[in-house]
Amino acid sequence: MRRFQTVGSSGKVNLALDGLPELACQPGVGRHMAGAISISPSIDYIERAYDDAKYGNISRKPYIDIIFPSIIDPDMAPPGKHVMSCFVQYAPYQLADGPWTDEKREAFGDTVVNTLAEYFPNLKDLIIGRQVLTPVDIERMVGISQGNIFHGELSLSQLFFLRPAAGYAKYRTPLSGYYQCGSGTHPGGGIMGAPGRLAALEALKDAR
Amino acid sequence: MANQFDVIIVGGGHNGLVAAATLAQEGQRVLVLEQRPVLGGAAANEEVFPGFHINTGADDAGLFFDEISQRLGLPSHGLAFTQGQALLFAPQPDGQALTIWRDPAATTASIAQFSQHDAEQFPAFKSRVERMAAVLHDMALLPPPDLNELQFNTLSDLIGIGLRRPELRAWGNVALKAKRLGDEEMMEFIRVLPLAAQTYLDEWFESNALKGALGGSAVTGLTLGPRSSGTTLMFLYQAMHGLLNSRYVVGGIGRLSEALADKARSNGAVIRTGAPVESILVAGDLEQSATGVRLADGEEIRAAAVLSNVDPRRTLFGLVGPQQLDPEVMRQVRNIIYRGSTAKINLALDSLPDFNGQTSTEQLTGRIRISPSLNYLERAYDAAKYGQYSSAPYLDMVIPTLHDPTLAPDGQHILSITVQFAPYALRDTDWSPRRKRSPIQSWIQSLYVCTEHSPAGSPLPDADASGLGANLRANRRSITHGHMGLDQLLVMRPIPGWSQYRTPIRNLYLCGAGTHPGGGVTGVPGYHAARSVLGRN
Repeated sequence: MRRFQTVGSSGKVNLALDGLPELACQPGVGRHMAGAISISPSIDYIERAYDDAKYGNISRKPYIDIIFPSIIDPDMAPPGKHVMSCFVQYAPYQLADGPWTDEKREAFGDTVVNTLAEYFPNLKDLIIGRQVLTPVDIERMVGISQGNIFHGELSLSQLFFLRPAAGYAKYRTPLSGYYQCGSGTHPGGGIMGAPGRLAALEALKDAR
Repeated sequence: MANQFDVIIVGGGHNGLVAAATLAQEGQRVLVLEQRPVLGGAAANEEVFPGFHINTGADDAGLFFDEISQRLGLPSHGLAFTQGQALLFAPQPDGQALTIWRDPAATTASIAQFSQHDAEQFPAFKSRVERMAAVLHDMALLPPPDLNELQFNTLSDLIGIGLRRPELRAWGNVALKAKRLGDEEMMEFIRVLPLAAQTYLDEWFESNALKGALGGSAVTGLTLGPRSSGTTLMFLYQAMHGLLNSRYVVGGIGRLSEALADKARSNGAVIRTGAPVESILVAGDLEQSATGVRLADGEEIRAAAVLSNVDPRRTLFGLVGPQQLDPEVMRQVRNIIYRGSTAKINLALDSLPDFNGQTSTEQLTGRIRISPSLNYLERAYDAAKYGQYSSAPYLDMVIPTLHDPTLAPDGQHILSITVQFAPYALRDTDWSPRRKRSPIQSWIQSLYVCTEHSPAGSPLPDADASGLGANLRANRRSITHGHMGLDQLLVMRPIPGWSQYRTPIRNLYLCGAGTHPGGGVTGVPGYHAARSVLGRN
């Protein structure tokens, strides 16, 4: 299990806003704001964001996936206000210059907001509150090792009968009666519920 | 009119010549047409500077399959191998050096300078890698299974197919052999093939020097970095005949090609050099069939079959012509990834270079690598991603004159340097003679980084600048005739559905590195293609 790759590199920035920001490329509030908004102008852009992370740095120009949950469900914010939920890559769990600190977390938040402001010019004026979560925070809050949102990298070498390890892909562990039912088992992460159901079925099989 | 030849082979690279020798041995009347004055393609030896006989492409014949050499009796046609005591010498910028020797104890001692832990791990790593690489070796010796024939409804259909098709039975044997690795190692084999080499090496070792030096093998000929998926597969491929094993041909690698040509001629084959083929002649409306070739000077020669040693895209687009191809095949051929980014610098030297940490000449008898860490290798690759050449490249070097002093004038040497990464398509510049001076300068500078701390203090002699410029080869497209990523191997090589050395044009076969198992001077594509021709109908 020591070989199971679990290094996380996604962060989350949640913004509480005084109103909806406007996109420079398509001003005004409309249906285009109700789905996912992706800041990833080219393949090279994403690749360069990854380059920074390879060497233990946060992406200077991160890939950001944005949702406004309060457009879909107004109850998620006080009347007239909004929540902007930003999923960000990359923020490596292990930084080249030492552990994450409060300063580094805020610097990461600034990088994200500055990048967003290139696309939403009036964003900074609307920010009422800002929550920044690094992989270390995710590990602390949710308990996922190294903050990997999939409980372990979803790579070819860690799928199917190799998830989480050869010989232990059937939700069982070396300890009899002890099962795994999280995203670290087949088929993996993404809030699909499948690992939980499959693990339950295996446990039922053993119980009979 | 009766054809004078049964088979025409377009291109006299080593695979074309393996095919020629194999077919001639079986009584086929063979004609080989090579455009250059010298045989061997990327396995050739040429007098580039007066008195210096240089391996202008590959240096190392370590991956050439002995099975082929034996079947063709190449030793009696002048083929002899030689190898040194060192497998790998890796000078470091800080003045140290790592040497991996054939002798395990000496290897342990050298690695221990960097890490005691790694020194202890290395023997187990080597044997594990070699057991897995042996499975790849057996897979290379078999033509890929023809998936078109694997249509079955019941298990007994499948068994029936297996019994009827000997090549499928052979794949069953490989599967059994793989199974004999043991369940645990079999799973390990499946796990590591798509793994990034960095992940695999990190599992075993801690030393940057060792991991960087080993990691070079994982990106050989690829445009990938050690963090890219699938590079562990290339690492194992390079170890098919032993981890880091290399061997050299006495007289230069061109002798391998000459021995193959000699063998083919002894069985009646005709080999013409300076005979560029302009097109492959195709006839037939409903089912197109290759009928011969037209040379650049207009001469037409007919044969019952044509084998092309030229890469798949150039064969089908350049020599056959896209108008002859089905649109779906055209799309697939157009999508073959080439992505060549390997360059070569050949230096004629006044004397042996003196590298950092070098204490004996013996250390230089294997590969010499400038790749001090996996991050160094990865950064070299980063440049290539954006269409730039690496300013601090990975250098993989050989001194062929240590294996055969007659390749250079008395006391002088050749330093043969393979450079990665030098993308074929540069974004902001090009490979014109004037513009390539600047990358060459920076690459030579990278070499000096690992020589300037030399205790003996004698730097590398200056290269012949004009010769250098003339001889840099930013390889067109790819040295392996198509990128060897996971997506372009086995039944996917060169394109899905055409992995049997055949093409959509009847009687036209492919026999180059663009077919299974790929590049590296193995001789295997040429051999399989010849068997495919012999077994046709």
